[in-house]
Amino acid sequence: MINMSASNPNPPSVNRREFLVRLGITGALIAGSGLAAKKLWTPNHFVPGFEKEKGLQLKSYAPEISKVMPSLAIAHGAEHEKTIRAAMGLLGGMERFIQRGDVVMIKPNVAFDRPPALAATTHPDALRAVAKLCFEAGASKVIVADNPINSPTGCFFKSGLTAVAAEMNLDLMYPETNSFAPLSLDGEVLKEWTFFNTPFKKANKVIGLAPCKDHNLCHASMTTKNWYGLLGGRRNQFHQHIHSIVSDFALMMKPTLVILDGMNVLMSNGPTGGRLSDVKPMNTIVAGTDMISVDAYGYSHLLERDIAELTYLHKAQERGLGNINWKDTLHKEVTV
Amino acid sequence: MAAPLSAKPAAGGRKNFRRTSVPMVERAASLILLLLIVVIGLAVYRKGKRFDPNLYAVRNDALKSTALAVEGKGGTAPAASESKAVSTGAPKATAEKPAGPEETPAEGGAEASTAAPKPATKGEPLEIALTGTKPMGDTEFYNSDNLYEKIDGRAPAYQSFNVQALRCRSFAVNAAAGSFVDVYEYRFDTPVNAFGMFALERDPKGKPLEIVADGYAADMGYFFRQGAVYVQIIASDTKPETLAKAKSIADIRAKDLPVDDKGLAGRRKLPAEGMVADSVSYVPENAQGLSALKDVFQAKYKFDGAEMPFFIMVATADEAVSAAKSFQDFCGKFGTAENLPDVNGAKIFRAQVFGKWKVVYQREGELGGAFDADDGDKARAFIEKYLRGEIK
Amino acid sequence: MKWNFNPRDLLKLRNVRRVAQVFFFALFLFFVFVTDLRYLKGYPVSLFLELDPLVAFATAITTHTVYMGLLWSLLLIIPTLLFGRIFCNWICPYGILHHFTGWLLGKRRAEERERIEANRYKKLYSLKYVILIAMIAAAIGGSLQIGLLDPICLLHRSATTSVLPAVNQAAPGSIYIRQYFHVGGWVIGFILLFLVGMNVVIPRFFCRVLCPLGAFLGTLSVASLWRIDRDPTKCVDCDLCLKSCEGASDPHTQLRKSECFVCFNCVEDCPEDAISFKFLPKLEREITAPVVPARRAFLGTLVGLGFYAFARTSGASDRNYDKKVIRPPGSVEEKDFLDRCIKCDQCIRTCPTNVLQPALMEAGLEGIWTPILNMKLGSCDVNCTLCGQVCPTGAIQRITIEEKTGTGKFAAQGPIKLGTAFYDLGRCLPWSMETPCVVCEEVCPVSPKAIYSREVTITKRDGNPIKLRRPYVDPALCIGCGVCEHECPVTDEAAIRVSAVGETRSKERRLLMDGGVTSSVTELEKRQR
Repeated sequence: MINMSASNPNPPSVNRREFLVRLGITGALIAGSGLAAKKLWTPNHFVPGFEKEKGLQLKSYAPEISKVMPSLAIAHGAEHEKTIRAAMGLLGGMERFIQRGDVVMIKPNVAFDRPPALAATTHPDALRAVAKLCFEAGASKVIVADNPINSPTGCFFKSGLTAVAAEMNLDLMYPETNSFAPLSLDGEVLKEWTFFNTPFKKANKVIGLAPCKDHNLCHASMTTKNWYGLLGGRRNQFHQHIHSIVSDFALMMKPTLVILDGMNVLMSNGPTGGRLSDVKPMNTIVAGTDMISVDAYGYSHLLERDIAELTYLHKAQERGLGNINWKDTLHKEVTV
Repeated sequence: MAAPLSAKPAAGGRKNFRRTSVPMVERAASLILLLLIVVIGLAVYRKGKRFDPNLYAVRNDALKSTALAVEGKGGTAPAASESKAVSTGAPKATAEKPAGPEETPAEGGAEASTAAPKPATKGEPLEIALTGTKPMGDTEFYNSDNLYEKIDGRAPAYQSFNVQALRCRSFAVNAAAGSFVDVYEYRFDTPVNAFGMFALERDPKGKPLEIVADGYAADMGYFFRQGAVYVQIIASDTKPETLAKAKSIADIRAKDLPVDDKGLAGRRKLPAEGMVADSVSYVPENAQGLSALKDVFQAKYKFDGAEMPFFIMVATADEAVSAAKSFQDFCGKFGTAENLPDVNGAKIFRAQVFGKWKVVYQREGELGGAFDADDGDKARAFIEKYLRGEIK
Repeated sequence: MKWNFNPRDLLKLRNVRRVAQVFFFALFLFFVFVTDLRYLKGYPVSLFLELDPLVAFATAITTHTVYMGLLWSLLLIIPTLLFGRIFCNWICPYGILHHFTGWLLGKRRAEERERIEANRYKKLYSLKYVILIAMIAAAIGGSLQIGLLDPICLLHRSATTSVLPAVNQAAPGSIYIRQYFHVGGWVIGFILLFLVGMNVVIPRFFCRVLCPLGAFLGTLSVASLWRIDRDPTKCVDCDLCLKSCEGASDPHTQLRKSECFVCFNCVEDCPEDAISFKFLPKLEREITAPVVPARRAFLGTLVGLGFYAFARTSGASDRNYDKKVIRPPGSVEEKDFLDRCIKCDQCIRTCPTNVLQPALMEAGLEGIWTPILNMKLGSCDVNCTLCGQVCPTGAIQRITIEEKTGTGKFAAQGPIKLGTAFYDLGRCLPWSMETPCVVCEEVCPVSPKAIYSREVTITKRDGNPIKLRRPYVDPALCIGCGVCEHECPVTDEAAIRVSAVGETRSKERRLLMDGGVTSSVTELEKRQR
């Protein structure tokens, strides 16, 4: 290929710059197509029509953390409304949490069809007082909902809450077949589960209102375990991992406020109780923004037991979901 | 057209020109490509050998394809959790199987392969004819497996006493609006087990009932055992009308349920005088750490200013004798034991073990005595009085 | 042809190319033949489709994913970016077929001059780029139509629906156990004949004029590093390089790199040794990019987008869906199906019962030649998932038998349903013709059976009583397999026919609101408890 003719000079081969540019372009195209293919690659098949729906994730209803206002209030008194008002007053009033126009979802514990005197369910006087306070603070609607273990209509009726809902014009929502939606949570035990969703569709504030009860399996059912009532399906499976799942509730739900009704405490034979002799009047209301702190107080002071036993509180503490050392938080106490 | 300098007119002219000077690079590339073709062929052949035979096998069990699916819910679309309406009958056995995307497929599969709990057989509805009350809803039935659906965390305790079934119903009180009475009847396999559960939940402040041998009245309800049934009658409030109806219901059920005290002979023998209320308990086996002591009834007594735990075991004469002997040997090994003179045909020995006094008697088929007493003399006096029939 | 064969000649790239052509065409034929339940084993019979870069590229546009085996296409994209359109002459079985046909039927013995003229570049050859642009535009809109003209898809489809049945017709038993029929196969067969026959008029007609894959690879080869280079100092302008040029890439003047098939014929044909395959030759001596007139490109875009818009709003795939569009088991939802199906008909080829047929207009314009079940010709075997195994794009997902039948881990979600069977009571023998039958109940393959019957006693026309079992369908249990329709003795239009409603792949087309809990069997079980 030696050039022998002067009239047709063999053009020199590609110069360095063009060489590099072309090499670069081709290299970039190769790399680009490789990367794009890898990124879009789906190595596994799926079964069409049976894909798991992406579960919903609950938003946080928690108020802003205040450095000035207390986050835990303890009030002692003889009757429900006065004591609840006192506790809320220490926290800054219901107005701190509920503003005009809010739709409030109150989650009571109505798991069983027990009469109120047996302290196995949220007391109707407590619900009445909290609902009243919400309306006074300007709430436009108050929803009451729970997914009981026994029959919903029976439980709400026998516990006296149906009457309160009618009296106060509250929106009582029963769990119906299509009230549930799949929930996605990165919990220890609770990952994908069906969840009683309908009450939360319109609500922008959530208040947990729980009685203070002994519990055979997990020692106590208070404001953290109260959220169990939002799960659907065959939830009794979770009894095998009861402490893990109760601590998961602190991850699942960030309520605006929780109120622990310690006016009458079910000291033994919980969670269903059955005899008045199991119930002890402690005449205390605990209200706060941290359900772990509230429960810590309840277990040690109302159920009068050793906090070291209550595994799920410690789990929640380890996971950073609340503060078990309620004494370290900003708290206030009053007797009326 | 310049004359090519390196023209090579081959034979036959340009048409049959054949290139002969092939550069080395080309030859190398050709060789590599040929080898590549061979490799591809081999790879395809090998891939052909590796396959999942299930794709082509005839699977006879696949004909049972929808059997499992149907037993659960027969469906393919997700079904949300069923709302628990007031159950009119037995909870469905198949309701125990998983339902849809509430659970992961792994859980679903695992549950489907384990045996489903038996459905609670429908029994007779709980009918109570009492003027002034009206049944609210239907009777609910539960068996040992799904008892937790009604009483949640308390179920394990009942299961430890071999509960068979629960039958419960509520009755509205006409005279008091909104008031009702719940009636729970737990059926056990033996009267002894029913007694065991009853005693476990016994309210120390309860007032004894006359209508039954084992029963008490609490502030808001009545609790008793009749036969192998443990009955709880719970009023919704303390209104006099409600409590009155609850009492009436208790009377009716106590009368209707058959009396059966089999296995409770020992219980009967416990004297009533001086017994601390709510202190009767039943230990099925290994009472006081001794394997010979089975079906033992215990109660606490107040005697001479001291608390006196007392136990009694009813068995055959031979069993009682051998149990007494092994008990005495046991006490002798871990403490001191001495024989006391017989009283009324009963052999007695007294022992002190780990600082606590025991006075044990045996007469015929009965073995009993005081245990865990602080004062040995008082214990002896108590037992001797009992044996002489002075404590009833 | 020169028949004096010198072994040393084997190590010339052109001869290696010939070996490769034989090998890949044979491989293709092998795959086509072996796509049969009896022989399939583990052979990667859709390998050519998975290697096809246009399939991967277009489905990546419509589905935003690269499905499973389509990753193999990188194995072709990278060499194309390095060497150019080697695929077209070395690997593509359709290209090889055209090459061979052209050699066989073309101006073999014709004058050199005629051959040279036939291989000059023509403006017509820019049509394939316009076609490609139209198809990509349609894909961007959301309609996958590359399968109509992609060479691999076309060849697979033609083999499946026309060539193989024809071969089996001539030599019974050679391909199928029982002769297969394919609806509308004649159209596909004639299209194949036409395109192959056109090689007589223009050599490599399809490859040069119509092939969208060629256009795609041609676009990619613009950046390739190795190219045919003509040394102008040696060149005597004899144009002999054009004699056998496959791509019509004008090596005699400025090489059109996007047209060059890297066949090495010009390298061999040049008497002056002026043409070589060089690494990074100067670009001044070639026309690098494809020449596509801007107006035509724009028109192509419009046609493509218009196609998508018009076809999609003609309503066949929405609420106005045709009950006859029963898709194979494991198919994705219809809209996604039309985004994925490249109409290669591999599923139709592998189906052991001949139930899969190419659709005509049932699924709308977009669905031409996509697979649907025709129960008159066959039924869907409960234990068979072959169609999903061979589908390269995931229009039919690669489901397992457990997933299909709803057993084992998938018992909770239940089986895949293709549709639901409905009785046409006026045609059913026991219902309307006083004749006992219930073949449908016997052949229903699920357990418990989706077809059950109730015994009635009626008085016949002649006055005698007769006991009949009258069949019913339980929609919660029916999986739409079609055995009942296939076996029904009323063969012109069966008395029980499967219809697309109730298919599980689509949430909108479910028949029973609660997903089948109202099954009469579950009711029965409830009452027993």
